[in-house]
Amino acid sequence: MSFRKRNIGLSTGGDRAAPVSAAAQPQQLASAASAPESTPGVRPSPDDGRPTTSTGTPSLDNILAGHGGLPIGKTLLVEENGTTDFAGALLRYYAAEGVVQDHRVHVVGMPEQWGRSLPGLIGPADAVDDKQDKRKGERMKIAWRYERLGEFGAGIAGSRVPTATPGEQAQPTAEGSPDKRPAFCHAFDLTKRLTHPSIANLNYIPLAPSNEPLLTTVHKKLDAAITSSPSSTVHRIVIPSLLNPTIYPPESCQPDSVLPFLHSLRALLNRPGVRATAMITIPLSLFPRASGLVRWMELISDGVIELCPFPHSADALATSGAATSHEEPPQGMLKTHRLPVLHERGGGSDQKVGQDWAFTLSRRRFEIKPFSLPPAEGDKEGQDGAASGAMPKKADLEF
Amino acid sequence: MAPTNTSHRQTHNLLLISKLLSLRDTASPLALVLDSLEQPATPLIKEYIRRAKLSKVHITFVAFETLQPLEGVDAFVAARKKSPLEIVRAVNAAHTNVSTSGPVRRRLILIDAINPLLHARRTDAHFNISSFLSSFLMPQSPTASKVEASLVVTFHQDVPSPPPPSPYTPSPLSMLTYLATTIVRLHSFSHILAQKAARDRSLVPPVFGLEEEQDGVLLGRLDKPVGNDSAQGVVLELEHRRKSGRGVLEWYILPPASHYPRQYAKEIVTLLDDHPLYRPPQEPSFGAGEEEPESTFELRLTDRQRRDREGVVLPYFDAQQGDGPGEGGRILYDMGEEDDFDEEEDEI
Amino acid sequence: MPTQPPLPPLLAPYVTALPTSSLTVLSTVLGAQGNWLTLRYLYAALNASTASDATFSLSGDNNNNDGKKQKVVLVSFLRGWEFWRSEAKRLGLDLARLTDKRQFAFIDGLSELFSSPRTTPTTETAHPPLPSQPALRGGPIPQRTVLPTRSAPGPIPARGPQPTTPRPVAAVPPPSAPPAPREVGGPVTRLHWSSKGAAALDSLEKDIAAVVAQLKAAATAEDASEVLLLLDQPDLLLAATGPSKDVGATEMSEWVMGLQQYVDATVMTLAADLPLIHNASAAGHQMATPLETEHAAFAIGSAHRAHMVMQLRDLDTGAARDVSGVLRVSKGGAWGQSDNVDTNGGREEREVLYFVQRDGGVSVFGRGE
Repeated sequence: MSFRKRNIGLSTGGDRAAPVSAAAQPQQLASAASAPESTPGVRPSPDDGRPTTSTGTPSLDNILAGHGGLPIGKTLLVEENGTTDFAGALLRYYAAEGVVQDHRVHVVGMPEQWGRSLPGLIGPADAVDDKQDKRKGERMKIAWRYERLGEFGAGIAGSRVPTATPGEQAQPTAEGSPDKRPAFCHAFDLTKRLTHPSIANLNYIPLAPSNEPLLTTVHKKLDAAITSSPSSTVHRIVIPSLLNPTIYPPESCQPDSVLPFLHSLRALLNRPGVRATAMITIPLSLFPRASGLVRWMELISDGVIELCPFPHSADALATSGAATSHEEPPQGMLKTHRLPVLHERGGGSDQKVGQDWAFTLSRRRFEIKPFSLPPAEGDKEGQDGAASGAMPKKADLEF
Repeated sequence: MAPTNTSHRQTHNLLLISKLLSLRDTASPLALVLDSLEQPATPLIKEYIRRAKLSKVHITFVAFETLQPLEGVDAFVAARKKSPLEIVRAVNAAHTNVSTSGPVRRRLILIDAINPLLHARRTDAHFNISSFLSSFLMPQSPTASKVEASLVVTFHQDVPSPPPPSPYTPSPLSMLTYLATTIVRLHSFSHILAQKAARDRSLVPPVFGLEEEQDGVLLGRLDKPVGNDSAQGVVLELEHRRKSGRGVLEWYILPPASHYPRQYAKEIVTLLDDHPLYRPPQEPSFGAGEEEPESTFELRLTDRQRRDREGVVLPYFDAQQGDGPGEGGRILYDMGEEDDFDEEEDEI
Repeated sequence: MPTQPPLPPLLAPYVTALPTSSLTVLSTVLGAQGNWLTLRYLYAALNASTASDATFSLSGDNNNNDGKKQKVVLVSFLRGWEFWRSEAKRLGLDLARLTDKRQFAFIDGLSELFSSPRTTPTTETAHPPLPSQPALRGGPIPQRTVLPTRSAPGPIPARGPQPTTPRPVAAVPPPSAPPAPREVGGPVTRLHWSSKGAAALDSLEKDIAAVVAQLKAAATAEDASEVLLLLDQPDLLLAATGPSKDVGATEMSEWVMGLQQYVDATVMTLAADLPLIHNASAAGHQMATPLETEHAAFAIGSAHRAHMVMQLRDLDTGAARDVSGVLRVSKGGAWGQSDNVDTNGGREEREVLYFVQRDGGVSVFGRGE
């Protein structure tokens, strides 16, 4: 029952955005209509109309407190336990999305090889979704009311970009043919390499020693790069593995070095006229969440999510963890400690707060979905029941 | 405990606290008040001021964290941004113009919190808490008349101390407790009651506030339910070192200030053990302890019956006579006529 | 429009009529931020008409500021003008207009605290807009047209240095105010961390004191000159500078005390997350970092100095859909220091739940209600 409620919230959130922006923000709609190509990859939030941009991961966009993306001017801190690099995959999607959308992407502390390893573009996130085709072919199996809920992975992101799905085509779109609308989020293939004309525009900010504190230099370079570019540019700041001692010198993990840097970064993103977002990852194995320093980094960030990968030995759990044979086993848990805008305002009203999330990284996507322990092995009846009744979402996804 | 013993302890210890709080005979030159967020020292400090006013003692208040002078204070020294030496000078100056004009009065110096000074960066490595405190008690110049001064220092126990400059130096708290002649630990009465109630049921005593170690909780104190205001008050755990070296440890309770008039001269502090809520008077006394519940049955034994009962030799006594190993556990039973012995079933 | 009253009745006694020279500590955690409560203090002070018709009656003899409007100075170290402006708008407060009317002043501790402005390095004259910017930005591009601005036009980016467009504030100076040079760059004062330790703190104090003095000077006869100071997360200063820059808990406390002397009441937001408070406690199993020790000393020490401590935290049982968090109101260490205990009626300790709605309205209710 709870699942259904949430799903309705999701899809109506997407539908509602158009009338809201039309009624309450005429100037914004006008500007969006007049120059839609000037802001590719930016769209108003269905929640309150603030501009958001995609993280490159549709299911991550969908858990960001109903905004369907990362609001402009916000930072997202991605923490990861253990030695895996799922957070790095999220960063690559984020950077690749920026490249594809012609955003200016600033990469801190990484060599140019990092940019060459960005995942290859498949297409707009929904159009190339292989499940989309499957769904079209086997539509008869799905109860009508479930189909309206939309696919979970698409959620708001999907409903905003018109696709060939009949339920959404029925909804009249304001501007022209759906194909002319730029996609908000794209799908990427981790095994391929991104080739895009604007990939050369990646701005690498090296961690070169100078007579200044290192992070001060980084901030100055970021500041200069952002202020010197036209104000219509949308920026993405990518900071992989902040404070990792193999990249950063040991003195940068002093609070009086890293916290002013994050504070200045926050100030930069909040500056009027600057349109930028930032995604930062940090290894929790080296800097545990229980330490005061990390807590302050979280307090300065707008959004905090934590990745807890399952140990490899959990394969047994994982194989049985898939509710159906089609579903890939989850590779870890994802916790949202703080969501942009929502918690700043007091928190709580988001329908998905407190939900347990699991993530799965496959070749083509990083998928986040609600985590639930599966019915016991061999409990055929329970599995059937879960698939048909209690979990419309899974049914929606998998038939 | 014998009743005479209790009443002796009562009068003796009440005299002691009265002497200490009223600063009579300079019984304790340095009193250390250890408070916490759960029970701040404000009520006790106000009680000190009230009594000092009654006995016309000159009060100097050294404020490290207070902005507004408390009522009844004669001299208010703001210690903000001052070095220890400046503070000592200011405190002494506050008294000199008084002592030159009028008759020599005893003085009370209150320090509202010593923690900021211990934390401050401006206190260099040569800062010594003991010389700092004793400089208040010493006469500032040889010519000045000796003034009997008492020092009451508050220390917040729950404020973490910075790491000591050297790993071998004692912590400030142990230094202060070593120097102090009187140590008063403050507890909230309602917490003491709650912990006692739990202990009486052999439960783990509850903890409050910071000790809860809960995210976002600094204070745990909540007002008692309306109408139960008798649980207000401050519990003082007093540790006093006499000049003879003997130590006294006693628990007292200071009732809230609204319960007595300001000019009330009699002792208002009582022993915690005498408080009706802590030790309810209907608690069974020594003799009544063996009383059994009344019943329609006669459950008691007469003396003769009891003697008979004690005379009974129970079987296991016999067994313990011990005729060697293996003999002890036998069941001695003589088969009677009414016993229907079944060979197959009961193999004894 | 908020369906809830801007000031929930249960909350009203705590956010109005703060005692003179009192400190109120508002402790928050990562998942339960206190901005909504800060806004309630703001609202109660600036919009006193609603505060006075509340059901409780405070026989204030020395602090009869209920029913009288207060001026507010908001110093924010983690959030910018845009956030406070838009959130206050949901409560019906037009901060830009109130700034013009000299009832409110915003001091920006975010924008340039650690990143020194590129043109004017001194702290006092740092308020004119940055002249290098228009050239760098490439001329008068209509910068914000594509951003959705939810409010009516006005001084929208009131802290935005946009010298190409004439600022309404600068164009129409309020007649009552002396033409201070500070006003050239807009109504917002920005703080700068200059160099080290005590000197830097002193200069911050001077900047804030100047703003407070301006507000007080602008007071007219019918207008109260009482000023409420809202300090939003000054503990960031401590965390981001720390003992290596000669800033410790004592220095921070003294800094706050210094600010308290300029104003009538102070509300301060602090982080009270578990790692920041308890790692330094004696029960800690490991060596606490200086950051943790100093933060805990500052936060707990401030609670000792506080009149009331409003503690926000997450729900103990995990997140819920209709509850944002728990608010525990406790008497601080300085409770009862001044002798007007009677005027504190209505402010008893309690623990309530709160829920921040999507529209910004807040409902406050007891458990089980």
